Amino acid sequence: MVDSEPMASSKNTDSELKIRDFEQQALPLMQQLYGAALRWTRNPSDAEDLVQEAMAKAFVAWGQYQQGTNLKAWLYRIMTNTHINKYNKQQKDPYRGGLDDLEDWQLGNAESITATTTRSAELEALDHLPADIIRDSLLAIPEEFRMVVYYAVVDGLAYSEIAEIMGTPVGTVMSRLHRGKKLLRILLAEYAIEQGYLSAEKVAKNSEKS
Amino acid sequence: MAHLDCEETKALVHEYLHNELLDDKQKDITTHLALCDSCEQEYDLEVYLNQVIQRSCDEAPPEQLADKVLRRIRDIHSH
Repeated sequence: MVDSEPMASSKNTDSELKIRDFEQQALPLMQQLYGAALRWTRNPSDAEDLVQEAMAKAFVAWGQYQQGTNLKAWLYRIMTNTHINKYNKQQKDPYRGGLDDLEDWQLGNAESITATTTRSAELEALDHLPADIIRDSLLAIPEEFRMVVYYAVVDGLAYSEIAEIMGTPVGTVMSRLHRGKKLLRILLAEYAIEQGYLSAEKVAKNSEKS
Repeated sequence: MAHLDCEETKALVHEYLHNELLDDKQKDITTHLALCDSCEQEYDLEVYLNQVIQRSCDEAPPEQLADKVLRRIRDIHSH
């Protein structure tokens, strides 16, 4: 928090109030915004930029925020748009539209790996995985899946809120969460196998990959 | 009460864990899990994975970020 030094003059009380409102309501959500920004940008310095950019836009648009409605979702939505406009050229990638279908081959592969491990072995292996491996694996899955997993699991947002933030139907949120979690489990299982935390014998037979 | 099979139960794991189901469905699954080790293990794994993800994604923002944001807002404000 910044010291609340009195401003040089109170020439414009309305806009002073605007700043104060914004500081009191939006600023406390900055930590959560930063967490999501890290997942969007995948590095701390871009995440800082994104949060600043989003907060600046939110401040400019503050008059449009309806008091009493979900402020976090409103800020997240602004940050999503900011990120997509500023950092994400992929929007124009024609292949991107089919992303939700494209992951099936990956998932098929994923299932073949986790199908050969027991749940208890997978659970035990999770205990061996350091936090940075978990974070990196999350960053390795496609952005749309990653963000839905993050919003649902870390932020605990409802499907309807995530749908609003991402600008998708709820059904898309649901399928991205399922797919995202599956992909994540696969990446983690692969890592655990490499490190010897999970048995790899059966996996080699079933996995098409290398 | 409708009985759920394992396939249906496993397919609803995330909806169940995130409380996105109607009460009846939620209860049906709770009942199924109490009786089915295989589904229960699947659910336990997802619960644990969620906890692991939550623990791993707890990076605090840099201390000066709040100041930077405030400075920027006051900047916009004064223009």
